[in-house]
Amino acid sequence: MLTADLARSRIRDGEVRPLFIDISDERYRETAATLIALFEDHLGEPKGELDDAIDELTVADTDYKIVQGLAKLLRDECEFEQRAAADPREIRKRLFERANDRYPIVRQPTLGEDTRKLEVYSAVADELGISLEECYRGMYADLEDNKRLVRFGDQSVRDDSDGQESTTTTTKLTGNSKQAYDQRDQTVDWLLARYNLALAQAVLYDASKMHVRVWDHFGTVFSYMKLFGLMHRIYPIDEDGNRVASTDVAAGYEAELDGPVSLFRQSQKYGIRMANFLPALPLCDRWDMRAEILDEKSASDTNQFTLDHTDGLVSHYSTGQQYDSDVERTLARKWERATTEWNIQREDDVFDLGSEVMIPDFAIEHPDGRRAIMEIVGFWTPEYLTSKLAKIRQVEADNFVLAVSERLDCSDEDFGDAADRVLWFKTGLHVYDVVELAEEYASPAGPEQN
Amino acid sequence: MRIEFDEGTLLLHDAPETVPHAEWDDRVDTHRAQAYRYRALLEWAGQWSDGGGQATLDSGFSHAVEDAARAYPDLALTPALQIEPRDYQQAALDSWGAHDRQGTVVLPTGSGKTFLGLQAIADAGVSALVVTPTIDLMNQWHATLTNAFGEQLTDEVGVLGGGSHDIGALTVTTYDSAYRYIDEYGDRFGLLMTDETHHLAAETYLQIPEMTLAPYRLGLTATYERADGRETLLEDRMGPVVYEEDVDALAGEFLSEYETIQMSVDLTPAERTEYDEEYQIYRDYVDSHDFDLWKEQGYAEFLKRTSYDPQGRRALVAKQRAERIARTASKKLDTLDNLLKRHHDDRVIVFTANNDFAYDISREFILPCITHQTDTDERTEILDRFRSGEYSMLATSQVLDEGIDVPAANVGIILSGSASKRQYAQRLGRILRPTDDRQPARLYEIIATDTMETYVSQRRREGVSTSADG
Repeated sequence: MLTADLARSRIRDGEVRPLFIDISDERYRETAATLIALFEDHLGEPKGELDDAIDELTVADTDYKIVQGLAKLLRDECEFEQRAAADPREIRKRLFERANDRYPIVRQPTLGEDTRKLEVYSAVADELGISLEECYRGMYADLEDNKRLVRFGDQSVRDDSDGQESTTTTTKLTGNSKQAYDQRDQTVDWLLARYNLALAQAVLYDASKMHVRVWDHFGTVFSYMKLFGLMHRIYPIDEDGNRVASTDVAAGYEAELDGPVSLFRQSQKYGIRMANFLPALPLCDRWDMRAEILDEKSASDTNQFTLDHTDGLVSHYSTGQQYDSDVERTLARKWERATTEWNIQREDDVFDLGSEVMIPDFAIEHPDGRRAIMEIVGFWTPEYLTSKLAKIRQVEADNFVLAVSERLDCSDEDFGDAADRVLWFKTGLHVYDVVELAEEYASPAGPEQN
Repeated sequence: MRIEFDEGTLLLHDAPETVPHAEWDDRVDTHRAQAYRYRALLEWAGQWSDGGGQATLDSGFSHAVEDAARAYPDLALTPALQIEPRDYQQAALDSWGAHDRQGTVVLPTGSGKTFLGLQAIADAGVSALVVTPTIDLMNQWHATLTNAFGEQLTDEVGVLGGGSHDIGALTVTTYDSAYRYIDEYGDRFGLLMTDETHHLAAETYLQIPEMTLAPYRLGLTATYERADGRETLLEDRMGPVVYEEDVDALAGEFLSEYETIQMSVDLTPAERTEYDEEYQIYRDYVDSHDFDLWKEQGYAEFLKRTSYDPQGRRALVAKQRAERIARTASKKLDTLDNLLKRHHDDRVIVFTANNDFAYDISREFILPCITHQTDTDERTEILDRFRSGEYSMLATSQVLDEGIDVPAANVGIILSGSASKRQYAQRLGRILRPTDDRQPARLYEIIATDTMETYVSQRRREGVSTSADG
């Protein structure tokens, strides 16, 4: 992400808008390509020299914030490493100790007994069993500026057996490119897209509250909310975004995100978490977001910041695994081959349990409108099982059914009110057992539901 | 009622409806309060006991409280060096104690606020978090706390900020890092101490005391009032001003005398050519626009232009380059060479204005070196050794502060410096002290002739003499 000083946005009529760049603009594509080449050229070189070279690009360029911003995103893909023959701190400690008994250390000796710096360096090098040059260079090898760029994307510096450093030849930051064609062009696309996302994230650093609405990928979105420690209130909504009474008739979900202290005061304390969360939204096909951004100057004023799926943001987050376990995957596969009118769907309902959400694995739906939701409790560590059971007991829905592995150390009592609705299984689930359960407990057809 | 710390707030499980300072949180179905209400809540429940004494029964009734929030240990410490507090320091400490160890002490710079802080930590007898506005000050507190209590602690003094993330029973941090992490560690300290506490009134920083449950709080500052008047917000979070001493009452008392010697060096021909080129670019730009650069507003206008005018941007870079050439003029090293020969038996501190130059000097003359990049514990170690005499020379790009942190040197050499007049006037004098009565302490200033430094140096000395006069 960008540092706050590299953020670029404009406020107009109470609306904040990041100054997105046009990804097809040749000017920016060229800047991006130049930077990427610069990083490649500096593999194995000190970080200070790389930074100087980047600064050099901004000498008469008022777009220096863009240049430095792009460079920051590239630096995030880098690894810098200390290269020294002995611990630098140990080297300099010995140097200073030795020098202190011999001051003055002079450049131009005037008296016979004056010490030259070379004598001190050689003596310490001998003590440590390293060369004179290693001693001199190693003295401050731990400074940020002196660390070496050893990895850029998946391109890294290797120490070969003959001591020669060599680099691999391609830079691939996108991670999953099977296409062998113009790698550089793709990396430029990746960088500029990432930059626009980072500009939007930077606006959120000062956010006090965030409202999001999503119409798909609920499990993914909510797991990222949890990952980044955001608190939420969740409301089921219909196609048009209006709140509806029950998750059974929900087309999507609205979530208000903030943190513990938001109960008492407006705080941008959670802005960084919201910024971290933002890339989860473009994983959805349809979403929108509205955030309140605190004005830095007057603490009480807020501006609005809105985004949605039409803004063209691209996520670099993963949607996670399609299925949590083999049992789920197998059931889904079996269902395709089975002959039943019931359909099975992934992560459709979201239960707001206060500090957490519970997203059951499947919804089982009949064309006539009947509907059950199912959670599979498969193979878990004891701690995970305990927290899972606690969550299950909180779900208040009569059409909530469970499939539980007999191998688990639990019994009917662990499921509270839902005990009647448990289907115990040994190794795998059978489609018709699940259908039977759905027939019995599914919510009735028709729009009237609670 | 069960109190639990949750990210800078308190969850109050099974609290009665009458519980003060709390809101019902429908997200988790329990009462929640801000962390700094911890002590008030215990007092309300009749469960607050101060230092093992009797619990105070505030309103004549009491609630059973299970305190799962407090995660801070008791800590019995005595400062290693037993110095008798000055009268006003003792008075300030007494007054703080009388206000239930909550409140702010206002003392002028250089009157030993740090010393007062050490006394407060010993007095409170609990783990403490010290928050400072800068990494420099954080490092100084680290050195001071290590000196005073290091041997009595089971772990090192913790550092949160400047690249370190270690929490100890005593921990130092900056306002920025504290704001970022306080929701995580707000239960770990019984005493919250804020240096230059007037900064705390900023909207974001105010959340540091709010998210801390520390029942004891001490603010330290020389200037409590703020231009925006927000200091009024501090009382609720830190307690009232419990003691205030005028600048006038203490002025002049602790300043030592030193003589200043100015030396100038020429730029090499190559440096001169480059300097003139860059300076001309800057000058031409400024002259072709009507900036009054000697006024703050004029300079701000120039800076603003540099953000959208490519030529302005180039002019700004030119100015920075010219400054750098003057600061790091290579002949300064020759002069330094001579001075180090002359003073090789003295205690010498060499100041530079940028890190790279400090490291160049450290390599060239093999001088221990402290910059903003130096790890806190290495910095403390180097200063310790300078204090004990194991090291007699030091190069630094930082302005070292106050006698308690930096052991006295009798020779200071400024190779280049930023022009901030306050910075130099207030601080240099305190570091330089004569080692014997016959020879006064000396401050050398080496500047590059016919550069911007000539002007800067003049302004700096005016600053020093103004301060010394009054």
